[in-house]
Amino acid sequence: MTYARLPLALGLAALALPAHAQQPAGTAAASVVAIPPLSTPSDTPTPAGGTLSLAWEASKTIAQDLRTTSEIMPLPPAQKDYYSYPEVTAPTFSKWRSVGAKMLVTGFIQAREDGRVTFGCYVYDVGKGREVARKGFVVAPEEWSRAAHKCSGLAYTAVTGAPGIFDTRIAYVAESGAASARVKRIAIMDSDGTNHAYLTAGETMVLTPRLSPKASRLAFVSLAGGKPQVRLIEVASGAQRPLVANDAISFAPRFSPDGTRIVFSMMLGENCDIYVAGVDGGAPQRLTTSPGIDTDPSFSPDGKSIAFESDRSGSQQLYVMNADGSNERRVTFGGGAYASPAWSPDGEWIAFTRRGADGRRIGIIKPDGSGERLLTAGPGDEGPSWAASSRELIFQRAEGTGSSGLYRISLDGSEARNVVIPQGGSDPDWSGVMD
Amino acid sequence: MRKAFLLLLAIAMTPPAAAQRRLPVIIPLGRSSPQPAQPPELTGIDALRADFLVHSGADTVYFGTGSAILGAPAQATLQAQATWLRLHPEVVVRVEGHAEPSETRDHALAIGARRAEQVRNDLVLLGVRAAQIGTMSWGKERPGPPRAVTILVR
Repeated sequence: MTYARLPLALGLAALALPAHAQQPAGTAAASVVAIPPLSTPSDTPTPAGGTLSLAWEASKTIAQDLRTTSEIMPLPPAQKDYYSYPEVTAPTFSKWRSVGAKMLVTGFIQAREDGRVTFGCYVYDVGKGREVARKGFVVAPEEWSRAAHKCSGLAYTAVTGAPGIFDTRIAYVAESGAASARVKRIAIMDSDGTNHAYLTAGETMVLTPRLSPKASRLAFVSLAGGKPQVRLIEVASGAQRPLVANDAISFAPRFSPDGTRIVFSMMLGENCDIYVAGVDGGAPQRLTTSPGIDTDPSFSPDGKSIAFESDRSGSQQLYVMNADGSNERRVTFGGGAYASPAWSPDGEWIAFTRRGADGRRIGIIKPDGSGERLLTAGPGDEGPSWAASSRELIFQRAEGTGSSGLYRISLDGSEARNVVIPQGGSDPDWSGVMD
Repeated sequence: MRKAFLLLLAIAMTPPAAAQRRLPVIIPLGRSSPQPAQPPELTGIDALRADFLVHSGADTVYFGTGSAILGAPAQATLQAQATWLRLHPEVVVRVEGHAEPSETRDHALAIGARRAEQVRNDLVLLGVRAAQIGTMSWGKERPGPPRAVTILVR
């Protein structure tokens, strides 16, 4: 099932975010955030259920969203904590102070005459007894979960100062069958695992799905043409087309931050170089010319630079160049091989896969080559992709039996956590926050 | 403990290699022995593939880890493949390159493509028409040793 994802209308846009809500609030330990059941001014039936039950489901979704982070410990909604509609904007802070909550999320769902619902979301600093953020959304009743994810994001930003990661999507390659004849399909889901759908049928081998920044489009590698080649797919319609109309092997696509261009690798004979092409066609422009294998390009968030890997020195290492291919400089000088760089959305880090005697491990390094840190122990980890918050990565991990699964790891040093998917999975890619 | 004991017992009971060769005479029981199975008649591309395999010795050549360089046995195989392909100029082949599973996804695709290109170049140097040979890469998607496989397409 794929339905068109329309931008959420901002119903309470006039209620601007207070400036201090953007300040990080100290994250030494997980912040306790209370999420009592959302309210409704009057329980009104909608095609997705009554507004009171939607409010209850939305509260649970917010608690689940925040539980997946390492920075927030949610106090889940409890029936006894129902509050009245007026209390949405006038909570009883003393009650939440007494249970140790640092922050409080309240909100309401109200039916509108046009058949949609208004979703109001408020975040309070319990200790200071004041509001730190509020936002409103107007959505079709069936899309209540997207508004809930936006509300989770508002709370996450209030606590951490980083963008919320909940109204985002994850694409990956769903794997089934024996290792010698693996069936691979492009799958896409909301970041909490809901709305899971397959975009290809498994009749041809597919690899490395890469979402456009707003998750409306996806670039991937398909063997449909008899060899690996980059193709594009519209997420809403499933329509497919090749990125470049030629006969060359091409792979490793990634979108530019504005979604208008794609960097990728293309082979002419034995030479593998990095090219950039417009999403809507046009001749690809060559960016690298070394005789080595140059691949896995990843744009910096400002679009001015590209990180990539090259084995021109004899082993795979990370490099950074200007977006026009000039000013190449090597980033990694540690032992082992460095591969699959991914530039963080905040520009601070480049995540990578390191291949060494201890297997494949995920790590991060500053674009200037400083601050290198390995995050996972391996031995079969690969292909990191950033969350919109720049505080967390998703990657694939070999699981012993020849299959692999998806895992998330936070930069704060906590353990990697399994991402639940229906079968095996590889090549995960995490989108930016949707409109 | 018990498992280890059983394992030792099994090893002790396995006859040495020399003894294995002294097989007893097998006498078929019953009135008639079963008909030997007829090998299926090969036609078209299947027959060509079988003939190619017989005369080339192998459809696969193996590479050293992380390398696109072929050793002497592989060169001999390619020599035989080239001889057969020169005799069958109407046949088109696709050389499929494979990388080792320890590679990362995209580097593996490039390594596999390089191996396929290496085999293609060698076959062309050995006199095969370039237009007869296409290449493709499986990267690390079909696990196994680093190799390139020559497959008859038509």
